[in-house]
Amino acid sequence: MTVAERVTAGPATVPPITVAIIGTGVIGRDLVGKVHRSTVLNCGLVAGRNPESEGLRYAAGLGCPTTAEGIDAILAAPRPYDVVFDATNAMSHAEHWRLLQPLDTLLIDLTPSRVGRMVVPTVTGTRPPAERNVSLISCGGQASIPIAHALAQRFEVAYIEAVSTVAGTIAGRATRLNLDEYIATTQHALTALAGVRDTKAILNISPAVPPATFRTAVHAVVPGADPEAVRALVDDAAERVRAHQPGYEVIACTVTGDRVVVALEVTADSDVLPRYAGNLDIINSAAILVAEQHAARLAPAARTGVGR
Amino acid sequence: MRSVVIHDPTLRDGQHAVRHQLGVAALRGYAEAADAAGIPVVEVGHGNGLGASSLQVGRAAVSDDEMLSTVREALRHSKMGVFMLPGWGTSDDLRKAVAHGADVIRIGVHCTETSLAERHLGLLAEQGAEAHCVLLMSHMATPAELAEHAARAVGYGARAVGIMDSAGHFLPQDVTERIGAMAEAVGPSGVPVIFHGHNNLGMAVANSVAAAEAGAGIIDGCARGFGAGAGNTQLEVVVPVLERTGFGTGIDLYALLDAAEFAERELMPAPPVTGSLSIVSGLAGVFSGFKHQVLDHSGRAGVDPRDVFFELGRRQAIAGQEDLIVDVVAELSARRAAP
Repeated sequence: MTVAERVTAGPATVPPITVAIIGTGVIGRDLVGKVHRSTVLNCGLVAGRNPESEGLRYAAGLGCPTTAEGIDAILAAPRPYDVVFDATNAMSHAEHWRLLQPLDTLLIDLTPSRVGRMVVPTVTGTRPPAERNVSLISCGGQASIPIAHALAQRFEVAYIEAVSTVAGTIAGRATRLNLDEYIATTQHALTALAGVRDTKAILNISPAVPPATFRTAVHAVVPGADPEAVRALVDDAAERVRAHQPGYEVIACTVTGDRVVVALEVTADSDVLPRYAGNLDIINSAAILVAEQHAARLAPAARTGVGR
Repeated sequence: MRSVVIHDPTLRDGQHAVRHQLGVAALRGYAEAADAAGIPVVEVGHGNGLGASSLQVGRAAVSDDEMLSTVREALRHSKMGVFMLPGWGTSDDLRKAVAHGADVIRIGVHCTETSLAERHLGLLAEQGAEAHCVLLMSHMATPAELAEHAARAVGYGARAVGIMDSAGHFLPQDVTERIGAMAEAVGPSGVPVIFHGHNNLGMAVANSVAAAEAGAGIIDGCARGFGAGAGNTQLEVVVPVLERTGFGTGIDLYALLDAAEFAERELMPAPPVTGSLSIVSGLAGVFSGFKHQVLDHSGRAGVDPRDVFFELGRRQAIAGQEDLIVDVVAELSARRAAP
């Protein structure tokens, strides 16, 4: 069983690292807020393309350096940022990776590009791979994979399907253009991380007013599923996710014959996002966790003078 | 005489009534009968469209590939239509459908989410397919919003744009206002407006006539109304009614009636009726395709399925959110058990 690596160094012992954020949509904006709250992440630069954008104004208001020069400004920094968060879109990510690869920077990808090493904190741990590119997969992936993985550890799971619903008001243009990538990346991650060959991902964008809370239903075909064992596995997996995502709740868990349905809702705890936007909160919280634990890992190396 | 184009989704939307279990012989037989009647477009697929076979809404008996190749072979004059919901199907599904010879490809999005169709409408324009954009659950949006979204869809390359009354909620006046606003918005571009009705409140034919009179150029109908719950607009009724109202369809009446008889005999256990749950789902504004799952779950939990529909309506459940049924049933069951 894969056990999530726990980096225990607390903020007091971890010197802050400097991060940059590219992309000033709602994901980028929430990352700025979360970096601002973090005691071990310093906001080095927020890069957008439109000097008038709300995202850049928000970042500047929190005291973050900003630029409208996009990736070029990040590349032009005198010393590489320790971490760059890519909150643009799947098509741009490959190019950002090509440009940042030669630098000593950890790239954390919030787009569904499927380029970097896939991370779901409670399933894979947060240690970045040698190639220093981490993919947070997708909101539906972050929500469903802990459950799919827990079921697959205990039972032979024949099929997994993850159906997510996000509010239209919080789905930005990049999300809307990247639905195909969302599906491919989420299905691929369910197979790679839960070990279930036959997977399917579906995304609904809801026009409901007031907006619908982010929700993911995990359907599974699990021959021999025992309702009590399933409930215990699901509750345990959810408890572990709540360590970095407090708004992660199991709403329903039913077993009918070999069919398991687990419904999850995720609410946001954010300075930027409305409560219903758990889809963005879950992926950004995971990204921040990866960056903070990266900072903790760099700390002893910095003290002993060992090269990174 | 003005004319309207009749679009027949019997072999796609009807699938909701039989849990997506139509077999190859039924698909072929109906497609041949519809072709013989001169129905302009025959749509086929899983009820939720390309790539939608799933536990969430039900697995299809026949793969997309087999459905499309079967119907393509059966059609000599009629165009073949398919349907796809972004987030369910993908660009790969669209390319496969074009390769299978689909002529008319509809991209469905919930009423105010047109931008979800931007990429796929663009892809279809590149592929040279006739792309339509249909706004689902359209009772959740105002006429002005629908008009704005219709214009946007045309901007993305849609060659027809319209609304589905997914919950069968509209009365004729609602349809007149909405289709009128949309026709005014896209009329100058020459793009026809589509109306797709459901019969929950017994209004599907009247709503379709109202749509045509308000400027719709494409009207959807299913043989015997084959569709979820109370079913869709009944094709073999709406066609002659439109003709009498003054809209030409080019469809042969006797062959149309024969196709409908084939459908009743070979596609469905019984023609749709406007049962209690259909009425309730129409009133509540909930997609009738939820019916089987609502009955299954409420039966097991011993709650009133009518309450389930009204609660789903209160939560503004959209088509595709079938997973909410489990929660709602559990909540109602717990509420009843509480002292």
